[in-house]
This record gives sequence, structure tokens and C-alpha cells, in this order.
Amino acid sequence: MSRPAGALLALPLLLAGCFAPAAEGSADGGQRLALALAFPPVAALSPFSDDAVLVTRMGVGETLVGLDEAGEPAPLLAESWSRVDDRTVTLDLRADVAFHDGTPLDAEAVVGALAAAAAAVPAPRSIDGLGLTARAVDEDTVEVQVAEPDPLLVHRLAAPGLVVLAPSAYADPAAPDPVGTGTGPFELTELRGASGATLTADADHWAGAPELAGVDVTFPADAAARTAGLRAGELDVAVNLPIAQLPTLTDTEVLSVPLPRLVSLSLDTADGPFADPGLRAAAAAAIDPQPVVDAVYEGRADVAEGLVNDDTAGGLDRPEVTLPRATDPAGANIRLATYSDRPELPEAAAVLAEQLRQAGFTVEVVVAEYATLETDLLAGTYDAVLASRLYLGDTGDPVGYLAADLTCAGSYNLARLCDPAVDAAVAEAATLADPEERRAAALRIEAQVLSTGAVVPVLHERTHTGYAPTVSGLVVDPFDRLLLGTETTVEE
Amino acid sequence: MLTGLGAVAGTGLLVGALPWLSGDDLARTVLRAREVEREPDPAVLDALREQLDLPADPVRGTVSWLGRAVSGDLGTSWVSGQPVAEVVPPALGVSGTLAGTAAAVAVVLAVLFASPAVRRAADGRADGGGAAGVLAAALAALPEFVLAVVGVAVVAVGWGLLPTSGFTGPEHLVLPVLALALPAGGLLGRVLAGAVRETAGEAWVRSWRAAGVSRSAVQGAVARRALTVVVPQVLLLLVGLLGAGAVIEAVFDVPGLGRVALAAALAQDLPVVQAAVALLVLLGLAAGGAGVLVHRALLGPAGTDGGLSPELPPPVPRAGRWAAGLLAVLALVVLAGLLRDPTAQDLGDRLAAPSWAHPLGADALGRDVLARFGAGALPSVGLALLISAVVLVTGVAAGLLGRGRAGLADVLNALPAVVVGIAVAAVAGPSLAGAAVAVSLVAWIPLAVHTRTLAAEVRASGFHLAARTSGAGRGHLVRHHLLPAVLPPVGRHALLRVPHTALALAGLSFLGLGAGAESPEWGRSLADGVVYLERAPWLVAVPAAGLVLLGVAAGLVRTGR
Repeated sequence: MSRPAGALLALPLLLAGCFAPAAEGSADGGQRLALALAFPPVAALSPFSDDAVLVTRMGVGETLVGLDEAGEPAPLLAESWSRVDDRTVTLDLRADVAFHDGTPLDAEAVVGALAAAAAAVPAPRSIDGLGLTARAVDEDTVEVQVAEPDPLLVHRLAAPGLVVLAPSAYADPAAPDPVGTGTGPFELTELRGASGATLTADADHWAGAPELAGVDVTFPADAAARTAGLRAGELDVAVNLPIAQLPTLTDTEVLSVPLPRLVSLSLDTADGPFADPGLRAAAAAAIDPQPVVDAVYEGRADVAEGLVNDDTAGGLDRPEVTLPRATDPAGANIRLATYSDRPELPEAAAVLAEQLRQAGFTVEVVVAEYATLETDLLAGTYDAVLASRLYLGDTGDPVGYLAADLTCAGSYNLARLCDPAVDAAVAEAATLADPEERRAAALRIEAQVLSTGAVVPVLHERTHTGYAPTVSGLVVDPFDRLLLGTETTVEE
Repeated sequence: MLTGLGAVAGTGLLVGALPWLSGDDLARTVLRAREVEREPDPAVLDALREQLDLPADPVRGTVSWLGRAVSGDLGTSWVSGQPVAEVVPPALGVSGTLAGTAAAVAVVLAVLFASPAVRRAADGRADGGGAAGVLAAALAALPEFVLAVVGVAVVAVGWGLLPTSGFTGPEHLVLPVLALALPAGGLLGRVLAGAVRETAGEAWVRSWRAAGVSRSAVQGAVARRALTVVVPQVLLLLVGLLGAGAVIEAVFDVPGLGRVALAAALAQDLPVVQAAVALLVLLGLAAGGAGVLVHRALLGPAGTDGGLSPELPPPVPRAGRWAAGLLAVLALVVLAGLLRDPTAQDLGDRLAAPSWAHPLGADALGRDVLARFGAGALPSVGLALLISAVVLVTGVAAGLLGRGRAGLADVLNALPAVVVGIAVAAVAGPSLAGAAVAVSLVAWIPLAVHTRTLAAEVRASGFHLAARTSGAGRGHLVRHHLLPAVLPPVGRHALLRVPHTALALAGLSFLGLGAGAESPEWGRSLADGVVYLERAPWLVAVPAAGLVLLGVAAGLVRTGR
């Protein structure tokens, strides 16, 4: 081989030093768990971004309150709380809690954390625009206040964006750093960009020492990579597995948890064929979710009776839905858009499109990555949008979703629905303080919306977490915020 | 130096103008990247816009970016708030390792695939393709992501020999490098074998053999002479892989530049995209320049006026019949498919195995795979052939007109496909035509560089010098001396790339470019079917086999003489 060509071949050897940084070996004994989470940190695990949920799922950071299965506040870093008035609450902090850097969790630390969150741009969704302020009453009592009366004030403190980190984490108040500053069962000891993180058990955790010695986290964005890692035995736990690949997981267990996540077809009520209520009724009548659930989701989802699932409805009756009189589609042209980021949606769209064609519509299906579609989705470029939405938001309450997605001024109104009656009902529901009354109001609004034919509910999704048979004690959380706890362990 | 600055400024402006071209609100895409499910509340967007100090227009934004970049300040990412200098260079290093190793392996494979041709050339026999040629053409037609997924399923999961994902040591290199290098090596091997065949006709080979020079010495000289044509292609491949490996990087969870550029481009995180593109463009220009220099160095003193004597290669054995046979098989299957209904869904037959009712099985919606194969042939093959013809003309013209320096081609080659795709989608709108334009914008480059390399050799030849000194006009030189020497090998090269073009058309579908969502187009079918690889392998095997048959047939077609 000639010299220049030889030099060419030597080039990669020069570059060969460039690999992603590997985890530093931790040979301190004890069981470690290999965990794959679904997406890499977008902002170096700053809780003022989607990374907040990574921080809570890894068991690194904790919020003042948690949410129980019914979506009601439960004690976490705050042991108890009491409403002072309709815009103020005082919280009593748990006594024996220390951050991973050794500083104690006191009222000052909590006030600092809440102040940083309230000042962030944008502030975490659950408290944005509320004028939230916090004040230390004494060493372990905090008073939190908002500008307007707010029945959900305590719920809001459960949002992952409001994890409380040690004062040292807020050196850059816009991007708190959870490395070594959390309070959870696991201390984040190292974050290696988008490629991985190392967690070490905090033996002094307030709920007791974790069973595991530590956790090695990776963030493979590709669902197939998570499945393959689990099958090859490289991973003990992998989250958000695609339904298409679950049948290949023969030696692993799958934990399926129903989520407050609705897949629905929003019909553009502002213009195009679906401005006609009769055509909306024809489309709503044509849609049969059962085949989508059975075939595309392989039975691993639940047919949606309404916008919210039965857990959220909490045993209350759903008022009856009466659709307008259907008119004959007569070949009306519609464009149905969906996005490929959630792997099942394109297939579901194809099935629904076929159902609409059988009913007499002419359908064109458009699929692209969400990021390239969003502007057009919200602008009403498409006649129908098949989308997946979390409807309990950060607060465990459905009214916020109804306001954003179904009112005239809603900022995520895919159906472009503008019905004064719905707006009035949502505004009224937002003032209710009793959880059961709020749910009942939500169900009435649901029936009102479905009766316009603007939204056709299809199914409620579940999340699928795969784990090796040796793993036990994973935390089951319908809000998908928690995964690892003190009891989580892996045998051998 | 000036070219470099101009290219960086130009592409920086292109990137800076993307939000204005696409009409997507910068604040909204940045918010979306940070918080997927968050409602785009106007108050939140205003606050974000103020905080990020987003540029008022692309020109001012780009000028101030350039000013800061020249002084070494690359700014911070709008999405993550991290300094760009801590994000882009490490990712480039990782991609460099991957792309460099893949390019080196591809060269080795190419030499192996071409070695039978070298042996025959040294013996004075002609090369008609042979088993190595067929294998190389078949590999060249295989999609990288299919190789990657099959590699993970078989080698990593099935045999447990290698890690499935990650990139922390050399063991993580093997599978991604094979996925990238096998198709590239196949393609380069065919181009190299073609160059060997052209070389074999040159007078010096006959003289050396007549003079009794040892067989191995002749082989070495022939190989070296032929490699001159391939080296610029390898550098092109190397740079192209740096920013465009997003799919393979995602499959193997490699934190490389392709993924960084893709995510940043979708989020319109301009500081990151501009830095990535600037680095890639500079590298592309450097590699393009290096390609020209290495080509000259390999030619040695023969590269000066009158030093070379390209001649007609000996006639090839008839391989055309094989090609016709393969195409006939393909055509028959397509015809059989065209008689069936490609749109009929039957969810009861979801992922049904091949049977009498569905001779090639059924897809995830119970649609007949044979019918979709047939219906997908025209949109896949027809359009790919059309694009190949267009880029052949463009590539040859550009290669002949260019004066043997790195230029526009090297800049375009270095741009990540997603940047080109977003620009085209913004201007042309999401459509099949848009996809065709985006693919054409890049597909002419290897052909132009191939032409540039061959033309440089012809211009250095005795007959060209003789014609020029006797007063031949430029048109005459092109028609009678350059084109006859350049067209056959470049035409063959263009044919080899037809399957690749068909795949590239589908590769942009995530931007909404390309055939519709329910189209039976082969690339789309492959991408949709790959998640079912183990449950229904026919979903991947059928379109992949179509592409391979097409590739092998194209590789066997005789071009010219």
C-alpha cells in the first residue's frame, strides 16, 4: 500500500481516543442496577425542563408533596400542611432530612428552591404566572402564597419541576445542578452529558437505606436500543418500551401501568369540512377504537370512553353524550395528520383513515416528526389531528388540560373549538376546591365537548417498563414520575 | 482561506435563515425541545423570547454570530444553556472516530472486492464483474439501518458477543462501523474495480508485462493507479458520515454529531447548528482539498502534462445478460404484485407469515406485502432512476467545469442532511418533489468529484496535450477527449447509487418530505417494517431484496463500449 493511502488508514487511530466518557468504576461492593431511561437530558438535568421527571424517576430529587393514586397530595419532604386561607398554605418539613452534600433540609433551603423556580424563565408549568412566593415561618415551617385564590395550591407543589435541591445547586439559579444536591434515596454522583449518569445509594435517606448500592443510568433515545439492551442482559430495567417489540421480550417481565394519557382525534371545527357539525358526527360515528386497541396496541391500551379514564372519573357517572345529526360525507376531502415520535400513532392513523374512508370520506394521511408539524397542527392546516396528550398535567387535575385544549383561548386547542358554553363551564370548574366536585365538573365538560363532535376519544395509553426477573421493588406510579425507591433491588 | 470564510458565512446565513424560511417560531421550538408536553402559552413564549435575546433577522443574527465565532466564542445552546464549545467538539470527536474507522474499513473492503479485478488486469485479462463484483454491488444496495438492526439482533442479542449500544470503548465500534462500512465498501469496491479495468487498458501495463516485470509488481502498480480515483471518494464519505450519521448513532446510542445536529436543527437551536455546520464545512473543504492533493501525490510525476496515456479498456465479457435476467425476475415479481390490492387492510392478518393468501406475508395492518412491493416499485425505482439521470448530468457538468479545487461540492457534502432537508421543506413545501430536490442537491457530489478526478487525469494525458497544442477548442476537447473517458465510469457509478437514492428519498420522511404516509414506497416500507424485524422478517427482507436485486442488476449493466 502506498504511503498516502497508508496515512489515510492511520487517521482513525489518531481519532481513536475519542469515545464517550465511561462510568468511573465503583468497586465498593453491593448490587448495582443498570437502568435505561427514555430520553437524554435536554438541559443537563436542570429541573426547569423536561429533565425534572428524570430527576424524580432516578430517585435523586424529591418534591415537598407527592401524589397518591387518586391524584391527591401525599406527604413527602413536607410531613403535613394546612391551608391558612384560599391562597396560602403552610407546610411542616420532615425533620431528619439532609441533602446529599450534607446540608440539612430547612425552611430557608426550601424557600430558596421555590424562589428560584418562580423566577425561572419560563417557570415550571404548574406555578407559571401565579405569583408564587415562599417565606420561612420557623426552621422547619414554610408558608407558600399565590396572588389569586387557588384550590390546587398544594397539588402544584407535587410537580417534578419543584424538586428541592441543596442551596449549592442554585449557583446558576436558571439551571440548578442536581449533582450531589438531591434528597432522594440515590445521590447523583456523576452526569456524563447525554450518555449516562452514575447514582450512589444514600444510606442516610430519611425513609431508610436503599437496598441497592447504586444505579448506572443510560439514556438511549431509540426504543429498539432499550429493548435490545434488556434482551442482551446489559440492562436490568428499561422504560417506555414500544408495543411492537414487547413480544420479543421472552425472558423479562413487563410492568404495564395505565397512564392519564389520551389518544384522540381532534377535528378542526374552525374551517374545512369538519366546521360542519353533521360531518363531525359522521366521523365520530365512523370511528371504532376497538380494532386500534386490539391490533395496533395489541391489547395493551384501554378503549377510551371519554376524555379521562375511569381512574380519573373515580366511579362517578359520565353524563350522556348526544351527537348532532350526521350528514353524508359524500367523499369530502380531509387531511389527517399525526406524528411518528410515538411509534404506534402512524399505524393507528392508517386504521382510522380506513374507517373514515369506509364511511365515505376521502382521506390523506400526513406523518412527520412532531417538531416539524407543531406549527401547522395548531394553525389548523389539517382537518383532523391524531394526538396523544397527558391530561392530568403536573397537578393531578384535569381542568388545566380542558382549559388549554378545549377553550377559545386555549393554547393547545387542536380542534380549534370555541364554544362559549364550554368556556363558561371550564371557568367555573377551575374555582371548585373539592376534588370530587372538580372531577364531576370535568365529566360534565367532557360530555359537553364530546357532544360537539370536536374530539373523538380513541384510547388511553399505558406505559411499559421491562425488567429482568431478578429485579423487584420498582415503584408503580400512575403519573410516571417515580421508578426507583429504597425497596428496589436486584438479586445476585 | 477566503473560500473557507465565505463558505462558513454562507452556510451560517443559511442556517440562521431557516426559522424565517420555515415560519416556525424560534421561541416555540426551543420551548418544545425543553418541555415536550408544555402548552405554547403566549406569555411563556414572550418571556422566553426576551430571555434568549433571539435575533431580529437572519442577517444581523448571523453577522453577530460570525463576529463572536471568529473571536472563539461559540455562544451557549438556547435549549440546554450549556456552552456550545462543550457540546459540539466532543460530539465531533465521537463521530470522527466512527466515521474514520468506517471509512478505513470501507477502503479495505473495497480493495478486497477489487482484488480479483487487479489480478486479472495484471494478467492482461478483462474483468467482467465476477462473484466479488456481484457481492459488492449487493452490499452497496443494502440500507445501513437494516444492517445495524440485524447486527444488533444477531450479534449482540442473539450471540451476546458485542454490546448492543453505547460508545465507551473499541468494542462499541464494531457493529456501527460494519453497518456503515459494508455498503460504502461495496460501492467503493465497484468504483475501484471499474478504475482497475480502465487502468488495465493503458499501454504501460502491456509494456511492463512484455518486459517481464513481476506479476505482483504489476498488480501493485495497477492498484495504486486505480486507487487515485477512489481516494477523493473516501474523503467525501468520511466527511459525509460526520454530520449525517444520525440514524446509526440513534440505533447504537452513540453521542455523535449527527444526533446533536438533528436535535438542534429540529429545535432551531441556532448557536449549536451554526457551530456544527461551520465545523463540518471547514472539515469538508479541508478534506476536499486534501482529496485533490492526495490524488496528485498518488499520480506522482505522471500527473503533469503528457504524463498519462488513458486508453480504451479491453472489451468486457458479456455480463449484460445476467443483468437482464435479474431485472426480468424483479419485473415478474412486481407484475405479480401489481395485480393485487396494496391498500386493503385486514387487521386479522396483522404480521401474517407468507401463505397462499399472502405469498410474501402481510404487514402490520394486514396489507399484502407482495401487492405493496409491486405498487411501490414505480415510486421507488422510477423516481430514483430519474434523479440518478439528473444528477449524472449535473455531476459530470460540474466536475468538468470545476478547475480541480475544493468548492461548493465539498461544502454541500459536509452539510447534515437534515439542514438541507429543512431548508428544502421550508422553500418547496413538504412533498415528494421536495424530497427529490433535497436528495438531488447532495447526490450529484460524488459524481462531480469522480468526474473531477478522472478529468484531471485526462487533462494530464498525451493526447489531450497534443490536441490542445494543435489548437483544439474547448468544446472539441470536452466532446472528443473528456466525455468519452469520463462518462462510462461515472455513469456506472451513478447506476450503482440508484438503490441508495431510493433509500435517501424515504430517509427524509420524518420531515414530512417524500411519499405519503401510506405509500407502498420501498424505503418507507423498510423503515416502517424494521421494528418488526424479528416478528415478521419478511417486512424487511422483501423490500431489501428488491433493492439488492436492483443494485446488482445496475452494477452489471454495461455502460459505453
